[in-house]
Amino acid sequence: MNPTVSPTLNEPVWFRRLLIGVGLAFLGLFLVLPLAAVLTEALRQGLGAYLNALHEPVALAAIKLTLIAAFIAVPLNLVFGVCAAWAIAKFEFRGKSLLITLIDLPFSVSPVIAGLIYVLIFGAQGWFGQWLFEHDVKIIFAVPGIVLATIFVTFPFVARELIPVMEEQGTAEEEAALTLGASGWQTFWRVTLPNIKWGLLYGVILCNARAMGEFGAVSVVSGHIRGETNTLPLHVEILYNEYNFVAAFACASLLALLALVTLAAKSFVEWRGQEQRATVPHLIPAAAPST
Amino acid sequence: MSIIIENVNKHFGGFHALQDVDLNIPTGELVALLGPSGCGKTSLLRIIAGLERPDTGSIRFNGEDATRQHVRERGVGFVFQHYALFHHMTVFDNVAFGLTVRPKAERPGKEEIREKVRELLRLVQLEFVADRYPNQLSGGQRQRIALARALAVEPKVLLLDEPFGALDANVRKELRRWLRRLHDEIHVTSVFVTHDQEEAMEVSSQIVVMNKGRIEQVGAPDEVYERPATAFVSRFLGSVNLFHGRVHSGWAHIGDLKAPAPEGAGLVSGAAAVVHLRPHEIDLATEPAGSIGVARVSSILTVGPMIRIELEREGEGREDGPVEVELTRERYLQAPLALGDRVFIRPRNLRVFAGT
Repeated sequence: MNPTVSPTLNEPVWFRRLLIGVGLAFLGLFLVLPLAAVLTEALRQGLGAYLNALHEPVALAAIKLTLIAAFIAVPLNLVFGVCAAWAIAKFEFRGKSLLITLIDLPFSVSPVIAGLIYVLIFGAQGWFGQWLFEHDVKIIFAVPGIVLATIFVTFPFVARELIPVMEEQGTAEEEAALTLGASGWQTFWRVTLPNIKWGLLYGVILCNARAMGEFGAVSVVSGHIRGETNTLPLHVEILYNEYNFVAAFACASLLALLALVTLAAKSFVEWRGQEQRATVPHLIPAAAPST
Repeated sequence: MSIIIENVNKHFGGFHALQDVDLNIPTGELVALLGPSGCGKTSLLRIIAGLERPDTGSIRFNGEDATRQHVRERGVGFVFQHYALFHHMTVFDNVAFGLTVRPKAERPGKEEIREKVRELLRLVQLEFVADRYPNQLSGGQRQRIALARALAVEPKVLLLDEPFGALDANVRKELRRWLRRLHDEIHVTSVFVTHDQEEAMEVSSQIVVMNKGRIEQVGAPDEVYERPATAFVSRFLGSVNLFHGRVHSGWAHIGDLKAPAPEGAGLVSGAAAVVHLRPHEIDLATEPAGSIGVARVSSILTVGPMIRIELEREGEGREDGPVEVELTRERYLQAPLALGDRVFIRPRNLRVFAGT
């Protein structure tokens, strides 16, 4: 699997150094520097102020709400993603390409619009606004709206990750399991799931990162009620607008930390998944090594 | 267990993959479904397994209708062309899979499973790989494990889809013989799909020749080779030289030769007829008597014990290409030839078919 560079493509040393240098400078300017800025600003008035900012009841409420939204959105999208990927990769049916397009929709729609959709449907002036008001159900400017918006924007992550993995694997192993007498459920748990687990985990990590970091869509449906409907990203914005820089950057550092953990987890999963894929004998039977 | 297939049709979109297929497979046979790619042989095998549903028709196992039965209830062992081993499980777990997914009440105990798996691995002569993963095995070993896995559930029917297709020539030869012996040992009704006529001849007790979704002929290997029912079967089972002629009241006339062409199968007076001549069923004569044509020697090649001679036709039938003749070394040495020699083609055996 080692990509050996052909000598004709081997650029002179100075050129390679230049390319690497440009790449690193770009990374430093746009990623490392802001990250460092977040941390220095957060710790400007010392560790005590930093911890205090995170201990605020309002900050804790924001953290809690962010976790709740992620805890609901991620498992739902996990189930949906597996179902959709399974249907798309293993069956032929009418409207398949439509389904694929629909799954991609949240990628192409602006998050603000995504939030607005829910306001238009469930808001006071929306389609179901009157009915919801009469039955005392709050969706917009409440937790359900935030969860809905989060689900919408994170919708494609798991399915998108799994479709190529499942398509590559085909259906032979599942068929083998069925001929051996396994039920559909046993086939899924014992054959399909182990085969897709790294792709699935990868999708879940990305999905989770987006769920916790989402700003636009959530902002529209949240109503920014302190301690009630503010997620962590919204809380950061409010603090910043109030010139409470230390607290704003302290909360932002949590999100930055989440990003770093996600990055590390993602790299690890990618590495494991590739390792597994490399050892999978799928479509290379003819060249099987004789031992 | 016997398998009876009646009036099976299968479409894939607009493609008619199987057309009115009827087939009877008696208990204990080792049957080859033979045909070129796209002839429907794999579809038929998958329909027998229950992995595909026929559009019409029925499948009966031992007289019992299995058409609507789910794969899992049919009790078939299926061996896939690309093995389809569970690559995240060890060889042991692969072979044990069929036993461990049984409902609790029917599931054998751990020790019993272990004993059974060991016995199967012994049967396929691969006891020493039990703890390895499929990707640590060679192609031939993988296929044998796939077979052991299929046999673990004690199938009533064993179905193999191009079982040796992905292996290199030597391993394939060895596995063929091994499968033959294994079948003699366990005698389970077996059907395997192949596009290799040599493989079908060597392994099976019955050959089903298929073409374009239909069954062309069913018979023992000797029978389909010696008495092909159609021109397709004759051509598919070995190389043939073609000669064209016409039918006149029960005789096919090709050049100076008259060959009996019994009525039926389109061989009516005035119809076109084609004669198939296998390379080893030809004598080369210096006299025109009984010959089907005349030709010049254009190449002489020694291939092991055989001498392969290529002839350039003279007169009619040039567009049918050169004529290939195979002689044993002994026969050739009785009357050696030189390039450019003029010879008469005298068939020792021939087959007449309707058409061009």
